[in-house]
Amino acid sequence: MAIWLHELKLFLRQRMALPLLLLTLAVASSAVVAGVAEVSRQHDVIERIQPQQAEDEAAVAAFVTVSGDPGSAAYYTFHATWDEPSPLAFAALGQRDVAPYVLRVRALSLESQIHEGENYNAETALPGRFDWAFVLIYLAPLFLIALLHDLRSGEREAGRMAMIQSMVRSERSLWLRRVAWRVGLTYLALSTPFAIGAAIMAAPASEVLAMLGLAALYVLFWAVLALLVARLKFGSVTNAASLAATWLVLTLVLPGLALLAINAAIPVRQGVELTLAQRELVHAGWDRPKEETMQDFFQVHPEWRDTPPVGLGFHYKWYYAFQHMGDVGVAEQTTAYRAGLEARDGWTRRIGYLLPAVGVQVGLHRLAETDLAAQMAYQDRIRAFHDRLRTFYYPYVFNDVTFTMDDFARAPRWGQTTTGDPS
Amino acid sequence: MNEQAGPGPVIEIRDLEVSRGGSRVLDRLSLSVAAGETYALLGGNGSGKSTTLATLLGLLRPDGGHINVAGADPAAEPEAARRQIAYLPENVALYEQLSAYENIAYFMALAGAEPDAMRMDEALDAAGLQPEARERRVGSYSKGMRQKVAIAMAVLRDVPVLLLDEPTSGLDPRATADFNQLVTRLKQRGTGILMVTHDLLGAADCADRIGFLAQGRIVEEIVPSAGMDVLALHHRYTEAAAA
Amino acid sequence: MSIVRRIAANDIVQMRRSRVALVSLLILLALSIVAALTSIAHRDASDELRARFQAQADVEFEGQPARHPHRMVHYGHFVFRPLPPLAAFDPGVDSFTGNTIFLEGHRQNSANFGDVRQSSLLARFGQLTPAFVLQVLAPLVLVFIGFGAIAREREQGTLRVLAAHGVSARAMLGGKAAALGVVAAIMLAPAALAMAWLVAAGGAPILPALALLAAYAAYLALWVLAVVTVSSLFSNARSSLVALLGLWTLTTILLPRIAPDIALAANPLPTRLETDIAIQRDVRATGDSHNPDDPYYADFRAGVLEQYGVDDVADLPVNYSGLQAMVSEELTSSMFDRYAERQFAQQRQQGNTALAFGLLSPAIAMRDLSMAAAGTDLEGHRRFLTQAEAYRFGIVQQLNQLQAEALTYADDRSRNTDPEAAQRVRIDPSHWHDVPEFSYRSATTAEKLTAAAPGLLLVLAWLLAMVAAFRIAARRLGRAL
Repeated sequence: MAIWLHELKLFLRQRMALPLLLLTLAVASSAVVAGVAEVSRQHDVIERIQPQQAEDEAAVAAFVTVSGDPGSAAYYTFHATWDEPSPLAFAALGQRDVAPYVLRVRALSLESQIHEGENYNAETALPGRFDWAFVLIYLAPLFLIALLHDLRSGEREAGRMAMIQSMVRSERSLWLRRVAWRVGLTYLALSTPFAIGAAIMAAPASEVLAMLGLAALYVLFWAVLALLVARLKFGSVTNAASLAATWLVLTLVLPGLALLAINAAIPVRQGVELTLAQRELVHAGWDRPKEETMQDFFQVHPEWRDTPPVGLGFHYKWYYAFQHMGDVGVAEQTTAYRAGLEARDGWTRRIGYLLPAVGVQVGLHRLAETDLAAQMAYQDRIRAFHDRLRTFYYPYVFNDVTFTMDDFARAPRWGQTTTGDPS
Repeated sequence: MNEQAGPGPVIEIRDLEVSRGGSRVLDRLSLSVAAGETYALLGGNGSGKSTTLATLLGLLRPDGGHINVAGADPAAEPEAARRQIAYLPENVALYEQLSAYENIAYFMALAGAEPDAMRMDEALDAAGLQPEARERRVGSYSKGMRQKVAIAMAVLRDVPVLLLDEPTSGLDPRATADFNQLVTRLKQRGTGILMVTHDLLGAADCADRIGFLAQGRIVEEIVPSAGMDVLALHHRYTEAAAA
Repeated sequence: MSIVRRIAANDIVQMRRSRVALVSLLILLALSIVAALTSIAHRDASDELRARFQAQADVEFEGQPARHPHRMVHYGHFVFRPLPPLAAFDPGVDSFTGNTIFLEGHRQNSANFGDVRQSSLLARFGQLTPAFVLQVLAPLVLVFIGFGAIAREREQGTLRVLAAHGVSARAMLGGKAAALGVVAAIMLAPAALAMAWLVAAGGAPILPALALLAAYAAYLALWVLAVVTVSSLFSNARSSLVALLGLWTLTTILLPRIAPDIALAANPLPTRLETDIAIQRDVRATGDSHNPDDPYYADFRAGVLEQYGVDDVADLPVNYSGLQAMVSEELTSSMFDRYAERQFAQQRQQGNTALAFGLLSPAIAMRDLSMAAAGTDLEGHRRFLTQAEAYRFGIVQQLNQLQAEALTYADDRSRNTDPEAAQRVRIDPSHWHDVPEFSYRSATTAEKLTAAAPGLLLVLAWLLAMVAAFRIAARRLGRAL
């Protein structure tokens, strides 16, 4: 056991060792601090919008209740939805900076609302966020390369190799000890700030362990790679250069080429197509005979068939009917668009099996629920919420029931479905 | 002190054949070193001196022949053989950022031993490293001082075999004399020493036997004596090297 | 001069024999070519698709049947942001911004369907474009090829041999830099060819293209000088390599990520949701169209009645509903503009904070100027948003005016009860043809160069700083020989 301590002492006495470990610790810590700050900012935003939203709803209620027209209530009331960051989002902020995590919807056609974007600064989003996932995926390999590239070659070049070989009882365990300290301490410097951050955010242990496990695998991959290169018995300089070149190819070049390939192979222009088509369907509604629209709507919602017929003039039940039929009409394109996005995500996951950097990126962001899948899950929840909104307003609109202050209070609230209740 | 160091040879090489990079370097080399004996292997560049040492350390696999280092075969069980060997490379390289004590503690730990401070001092005394230098970083040491640290390790390890690779090249005459005395002292402790060198004078000064190595085998072996004609010896050496 | 050339020539011969140098240069060239070809193809395809969608939207707008003009206000219009030709070189923020906006009355929608939201996380690894290759990868290859320039000569002892032959330190460094400069020029070649092609066949403006090339040349030159300078500071090649790799990581990977984070944290943007609520609140505070007694609209009505000298809106020669729609649109639109300006100002501040880090990292400065000169920076997107909003306001008011002038107030009021009135308020679709098409005015050359100026100044400052460092290194090396 004492030899492990000797080895540690020797390692820490090396010129680059302690500065590099401290640098790793500092970079990982600041990434965690930045991530925690960003996530609490997102929590704050979600909290901050509640009173503003309440005030807005009250203002709508004030003028709608004058007439008590349920159609106006549904038309003018925006309902807030939000997507709280998961406890682990701080470690991998992912797509949350470019996709909205707060969005308001109303009972009108959903397809014209759900694709709305957020006001973010594209220039600052372009280089990507500085979070723990970035430190792990991009920087940790470089730190490891700096510590491992001269593991054997350094001893050889210093002229100590023969003496070491003549004294050591087992060469294999010598290198094992040395690699273990280097990799172990680097991993410790990376994971300790993360673990503290996870504790602060009260993340579930199993997911924290999964992330730590992924990080361990990734760090091990680079360690093994460094050892394999060391087996080629190049000099330290060649080792460092070839490892850095491998890093470049594995974390920058190949993911870039993969992105080109995936986006070229799976175009997702259905997004634009479906919004164009949906608008045509909705607005053609104004010019179609009302009865046709209502018949189509009753196919989907037979429960309103027996309500009073729509007269000659404008009636909100007809309006909401063709709004909804706009969504129904592009359902196929919506599915295709989503399938395209999922296909892109699926291919990325497959590439993750080949490229460790991509695999870890995918894994971390899945655990942190900040990936495309999480974005789509939020949209699914918005869709479910929108259905509840329609179901809430339809009885008022179709049965011509006066909409009162109390009814505003009765409207579905997002909070009731945010956790654990997908129905 | 060590059991193996009886009267028999601690190094025995018979008909050793070693190739490097496709060409035969050692060609039926035979030699033996007894406990308490110093054997100097003399030869020019490329005569196979370093190959002999590397093979004894188990770093090269022989094509044929037989080697025995204090009961162990380096070809079959290199790590067992190395446990019997202390080795001083031509340039003793230590961890520059550690002191002499720390270097010894570390290397001894590699070899599986944990000498206390008193034993280290005894060994360093035996090796002749001045006490005031021992706490200093090895980075500031001269070649001779580094060798002394390595010798101290050999003393501490108390192994039957010491291999020396060009120990006196690059040492000034004073340091060379010091070193030769040190070798003599180690020899008296019963260590079998094999040194490879091209320093004929040094070899004549401290070796019990000298073997001339050329084209991978011993071409002549002599026992130096007090009244030996060093010039004639030198002539024979250069002839052997040229052959 | 000839001794510098001799050293450079000798170095180039050595590089040609070095597998590391040759392989890394070839890989970089291959990547440049792949990046250039795919970027050009991608730009052309995207631009063509957007043009097609735009044409489709235009045809659909004009093909609408006879309608109440206010229906057309809600039918709205789609506009698409065209891609500037130099986007094939540096797409900038294009994939991080939506490229289409739905324009309608009383509402300001976001630009949607940006690539980044439609891509997996791979998009966050950076896109392989000619700009990325030159900004990020090329300096690293220069490091790989040049780290040993002086350090290795020193390690091998050849430095002293050269010095003993009377070669000055300055000539030595100059020769090394010249040799590495040749490598940099080779790296720049595919980009220069792509640029030439874009100018010749793609209609790219020549001045910004030349400015871009010159800036990239300066950027690579400063890296060449940095590599040779750092190499002269170290006694062995390994330390030089490690130091240069560290420098590259810090300036090209780490700082470009940290800078925006600091800029964002210092000046966080409100969410779209909050802005929407705030705009609604401000609009209500000025004039609440839902309140029949609202003083703002009461004043407006009084003004109109007075202007036409009548007592009742029904007696007006124009349709009062149309006039009210116009004043209401004017009010909301002014709020949109005010909030958009506020948001743009904040984004510019964020951009400036991030660009200030260009003092620490030439890559940040280079990226900024590259996007600006290519016309793919955020300013370009803002230009689109501003023009789209102006266009939205224009067509909405044109339709509102139609409502005021082509419809009678009586018909407009009774359209829900009187089928004949309902027919009469549907005005002839030829009016839709009178609505102009959206034509995006992209940045002029002067605007692009102005936007690129801060980044360009930073890159030039870096180049000068590196020249100074290089001279100091030469003097230092001269003393050490």
